[in-house]
Amino acid sequence: MSDKVKSITEVVRSIPDGSHIALGGFAIARNAIVFAHEVIRQQKKGLTLSQGVMGMETDLLVGAGLVVKLIVGGGSLDRFGPVRCINRARDNGTVIHIDSSSLSLAFGYLAGALGISFIPIKSLLASEMMERLETAAPDYLRRGTCPFTGEEYVFLRGITPDVSVVHVPISDRSGNCWIHGPRWENEEQAKAGKRLFVVTEELVPTEYIQRSPERTIIPGHRVEAVVHQPFGAHPTGVFGCYDYDSEHLKLYAEYHKTPEKMNEYLQKYVFGTRDHWEYLEKIGGLRRLNEIKAEAIFGY
Amino acid sequence: MPSTSTEVRDQQFSDVTASEIMVTAASKEVRDGEIAVVGIGLPQVACVLARRTHAPRLSLLLEIGVADMDPVDIAVGLADSRIFYRATCWSGFLDTLGMNLHRGVVDVGFIGGLEVDRFGNVNTTLTKDPDGKEHYFNGSAGGNDVASLAKRVVIIVRHGKRKLPNAVAYLTSPGFVNGRSRADLNLRGGGPHRVITDMAVLGFDNASRTASLVSMHPGVTVEQLLENTGFPLQIPDPAPITPLPTREELRLLREEIDPGRMYLR
Repeated sequence: MSDKVKSITEVVRSIPDGSHIALGGFAIARNAIVFAHEVIRQQKKGLTLSQGVMGMETDLLVGAGLVVKLIVGGGSLDRFGPVRCINRARDNGTVIHIDSSSLSLAFGYLAGALGISFIPIKSLLASEMMERLETAAPDYLRRGTCPFTGEEYVFLRGITPDVSVVHVPISDRSGNCWIHGPRWENEEQAKAGKRLFVVTEELVPTEYIQRSPERTIIPGHRVEAVVHQPFGAHPTGVFGCYDYDSEHLKLYAEYHKTPEKMNEYLQKYVFGTRDHWEYLEKIGGLRRLNEIKAEAIFGY
Repeated sequence: MPSTSTEVRDQQFSDVTASEIMVTAASKEVRDGEIAVVGIGLPQVACVLARRTHAPRLSLLLEIGVADMDPVDIAVGLADSRIFYRATCWSGFLDTLGMNLHRGVVDVGFIGGLEVDRFGNVNTTLTKDPDGKEHYFNGSAGGNDVASLAKRVVIIVRHGKRKLPNAVAYLTSPGFVNGRSRADLNLRGGGPHRVITDMAVLGFDNASRTASLVSMHPGVTVEQLLENTGFPLQIPDPAPITPLPTREELRLLREEIDPGRMYLR
């Protein structure tokens, strides 16, 4: 088995400007924060991001001005408020946005993962998303009928991101990953990517994976690189590892209200830190991390 | 039977809140043995109440990939691990929204929104200034999927003229669009069945496919209702009154389901 462990710096360096990146977070759960921070430090530009339900990772990248297009189902920071950087970019027309639904993204990735060019769905019909995208984005979806029954569907283009990035709790050095708790569209999204990077909280021996291989959601043979970063999703939560950090999310929810304050946030927490370890010191260090550490029974 | 809604409220539990009446009314919209897709907040509180009362065999699905959870702590949203606790299945969108909802086996879907119009169309995407400038919000997530595909859709929203306009500013999730039938719209799901607010329960007229009053909550007057609704609302005379929660329902809500009052404001 090959050792695929790499640093986040190396992984991000290998991604060209203008790439389409699928991100694996959902609102305030399992966001690839360490990845988003490094993309911002390296100033990768002209990105397309796709995701079922956007959260903080996507808000950070849009807030940093690196994103030109979003292919998404929805997004929020749950009770910490809306994804304000993203909403501001949509309001001001500084980002192209292909808005559909959670299931549409899952279907699109499934088609991509299966190697089929489109997939029919019974969502979106008669909605304004459909009305707007039919004219603005015919490359993403069109109306079509079933050749057998004549039933009307929306045909979604299969999604094949240049890179998929999924944050997981457990992986071995070859990229065999377990995901505890719900996993939204992570499996299809991971397998739809032309390249796949995983960030893991914990790096385990392959013998550990081999004890319960039925728990492997992403098999290592599809993974290009594994980044090991404990608390790599902070301040979003990782089920079984740590809770979301409500103090830091509240703080972020204040900063992202204006572009000026957002820039201050980025200066302080991203550009002002060399790597994720320095970031973790800045948000409160071991004392804070111990406070949000998951309790064994509850997983949060 | 007391003659006015105000009397009912005064005579029984003077401290019952509009949220408690709303959530109890919503709990009646699911039947035992059904499958429901819910979001966090009042829909979840309503379904948990239903499970503890008349619908113990109700199955709950969360779009994120959680089935039949039995949490002990209240969650801030779908992505909060508190809501994953004691589930019987963890999966993802393809299972919950795909192989259940899209397959056609979900009986009831609960959604909320920024606006709901007279045809039961829901907007969760944006608001518009008078000059047409758009201000984006959360978007669909699973909302459009649920509205398109569930056999019945129950919409939960606070009552107000701007929350219940004649036409939504953006049609995220279709109801009976322009009064058309669901078959005509090529949609599989049955469409909106109820709109439950903090003032009333609305249903949909079979012929016009527009919202009409089912019942108004104790303490609400017809004038208040008309004043706070942005579309013409058919109101039967006399207007039926929504039943108050029972003492046991109130006890469950206050002591067991949402003791911290995160959702039952």
